[in-house]
Amino acid sequence: MGEGYFKQRNGLIAVDIMAACGVMTPEQWAGLGQAARENNVFRLKMTARQTVVVLLPEENVEKLVAALEPLGLKVAPFGKVVRPVKACPGNQDLCPRAIADALGLGIAIQEKCVGQEVPKDFKIAVAGCPRGCTEPQCADFGARASGQNRFDVFIGGRGSTVKPVHGVPLARKVTAGQVMQLLDFVLERYRNLAQPHERLCQTLARVGENQFQPPAELLAAPEEEASEFARFLQGGGGGN
Amino acid sequence: MAVKVEEINLAALETQLDRICQGCDLYNSAGCNPSQCLVGFARKVLSFAAQKKLLDIPGASRLLPAQDFKPYYPEQVAGAIAETCRQCRQCRDNHSPDCVVALVRTALESALLQETIDYPGSTFLYLARVKEQHPRLASLLARELQKADS
Repeated sequence: MGEGYFKQRNGLIAVDIMAACGVMTPEQWAGLGQAARENNVFRLKMTARQTVVVLLPEENVEKLVAALEPLGLKVAPFGKVVRPVKACPGNQDLCPRAIADALGLGIAIQEKCVGQEVPKDFKIAVAGCPRGCTEPQCADFGARASGQNRFDVFIGGRGSTVKPVHGVPLARKVTAGQVMQLLDFVLERYRNLAQPHERLCQTLARVGENQFQPPAELLAAPEEEASEFARFLQGGGGGN
Repeated sequence: MAVKVEEINLAALETQLDRICQGCDLYNSAGCNPSQCLVGFARKVLSFAAQKKLLDIPGASRLLPAQDFKPYYPEQVAGAIAETCRQCRQCRDNHSPDCVVALVRTALESALLQETIDYPGSTFLYLARVKEQHPRLASLLARELQKADS
């Protein structure tokens, strides 16, 4: 697995640092700032994937990286792996518009999957409402909240390159637990079906979406509330 | 979350629905069957939402009793539909057809309109859509909403 170290034209090294989907505590920010000051860091840059790139002289890299672990931060994986997850701050505390806990789901996905090897870089985005600030339809695997603990899932998006692609719907109104299961399923199919260095959108175009059709049990509508309400509707109470 | 069920005045909706029931020929009779009645369905939605503290009841819109063919009149239901407009939190992109306010409104629309209306996010646009199907109801709704504003 590759890691996020990149030699720059000016000779500095860029180190890509990941946190919990871009959310840090004041202690983490302050600790990173302190480590940056102590290691001649030239600049810190927030990235589109919600990581922080730190630019510093090569001889200081090891010391800076050693300071990350006590802060609960890590060097992000790079290359043909599942990349750090991009999630909006959508949860009850951080976003007034959120309808489901996107941040919690994003962090859970990142903890489970980041760094897993795949045929080509694999990007995941989670959004807590249909506005989709994290652009889940532009990710290899995107989840967009569609109700309380309900998500629509898209696969095969690609936001960058000269040929951006929108993901196709894989599932509607599934729970966070089902999203995790669907991700496992998609990663497994992708590893089995993709040619070397083939991005998921290209695999989908080549083999067809049917090859990624999940088994019915992964798509089964979570009917707990509806079933309970159906029983309530037939039973006593309420009404005239 | 964006809107909590506590922010919705369920009692105000319930009061309006109770008025409809009191004018119903089957009220307090053996023939009263809430699960087969649009207004009974709406009251069950409110009761369930209050008990469970749910704003959204996934799948409930599929349980709407489409076979309720009792006669309803616009004068009966306009007050309750207007109350759903007042309680609507204009969620726009976050709108869910299984939201309790949407469920009550849809049930009442089904009593009078040929087709239910996707709530367009503003009362003005909603009245315009109602007017396309039922000008009399739209006029009554406008009057009810003006009453509340004055």
